[in-house]
Amino acid sequence: MKKLLTVAILAFLTVTLLVAGGTKESKGDQSLEKVVSKGVFVMGLDDSFPPMGYRDENNEIVGFDIDLAKEVTRRMGVTLKVQPIDWNAKEQELNTGNIDCIWNGFTITAERRKVINFSDPYVDNAQVAVVRNKTSYKTLADLAGKSIGLQAGSSAADAVANNTAFASSVKEVIEVKDNLTALMDLEIGGVEAVVLDLFVAIDNITRSGKDFRILDEHLAPEEYGVGFRKGDQALRDEVQKQLNAMAQDGTLAKISTIWFGEDITVVGK
Amino acid sequence: MGKLLLLMLEGTFTSLKIFFLTLLFSLPLGLIVAKGRMSKFRVVSSIVNGYIMIMRGTPLILQLIFVYFAPYYIFGASTDRFTAVIIAFVINYAAYFAEIYRGGIQSIPQGQIEASKVLGLSKFHTFTHIVMPQVVKTILPSMGNEVITLVKDTALAQTIGVAELFRVAQNAAARQFSTTPIFIAGLFYFIMNGVVSKSFDLIEKRLDYYK
Repeated sequence: MKKLLTVAILAFLTVTLLVAGGTKESKGDQSLEKVVSKGVFVMGLDDSFPPMGYRDENNEIVGFDIDLAKEVTRRMGVTLKVQPIDWNAKEQELNTGNIDCIWNGFTITAERRKVINFSDPYVDNAQVAVVRNKTSYKTLADLAGKSIGLQAGSSAADAVANNTAFASSVKEVIEVKDNLTALMDLEIGGVEAVVLDLFVAIDNITRSGKDFRILDEHLAPEEYGVGFRKGDQALRDEVQKQLNAMAQDGTLAKISTIWFGEDITVVGK
Repeated sequence: MGKLLLLMLEGTFTSLKIFFLTLLFSLPLGLIVAKGRMSKFRVVSSIVNGYIMIMRGTPLILQLIFVYFAPYYIFGASTDRFTAVIIAFVINYAAYFAEIYRGGIQSIPQGQIEASKVLGLSKFHTFTHIVMPQVVKTILPSMGNEVITLVKDTALAQTIGVAELFRVAQNAAARQFSTTPIFIAGLFYFIMNGVVSKSFDLIEKRLDYYK
């Protein structure tokens, strides 16, 4: 019995190591051919991330990023498949080939750059702190000794972790599954502030009508990009080419105006 | 790597806290619920039955969210998130345990109870010295099942922001862009449940008292 257990544990560990270590192998870059021959481009996203990508009343996934991807794939002559994923498992989804890219308000960070092949930034963003309107917080320093909430695995989590002065001043960081839960937690007083993307914050406050406001002091300026597998240079370049063309003929500006009322894109600027 | 394991041990400690506190409260509560379910008073038994139906008929993840958020919308006050986790787990598991207890209690032939009465044992005495020793033996395998499920269910606590083992592992995975922490967490759960099943084996052997 003991022997059997040892064998089982060893087998488990071996599989773990293989899965973790044995994924990098490439025979030239066929990423673009693969997508074109399949005729399908799979974009992975968190389908609860308005206004970049979310479910509308008809349970259809819509959003700014979806419209961009639709236009890009139309120009590439392939069909777009929108694949909702668990945001926390996004790297695994990408590395195992379940999706061709992560395209969903995906923040470009130095750490992510090491393992992900990013497109050029297409939108500028910032991490901001949202507080209840009736509280007196004005700056990030006012949040010292308080609990703050954020979405686990999000770039807000990175932004807070990287801002050591702020991270060490707060009492604790409560991580939950999505921004909505974090904001509900803010409403009931479980946390004093929620850190999240500026666009998401604006969108949430306007659509929910909740009595929240955004602190003027921002945590971290950042850029959104489309993330590809490290080896998929050809596919990345093709998507970038289409984005550049869309910036030039004004399509990007048009889509941006639909979702944000103005052109917030930065491609070719 | 060392730092990661330290973090994961911390997460494991939280998971274990949830596990033991849930057992501590839900095991006795389950017995009370089982008694209520078998009550001769229709009002009591139907209320308890309704409670069991809700607990078993809705997802635990939903109950967690309800216990944490609902009090604010109803009473305007909210509980601490860890307390909410314990409450949700206890009322959920008590319902399952109650049904297991009931199955065990009802498996005791009525003749034994009548015999005890004839021998002059009190109702309480009959329950503690005749019924329960047999019940505990028969329900052990089903209890083992439920307790093992509880170990794995602790991973749901992250829904309302309690950083247990699986949340820590997922965060580390996101940070390092690697699946390894998740698999290590799997190993942790596996070991914990190894201890649970071993303990149940031991208890079963200990309770060999009718042979």
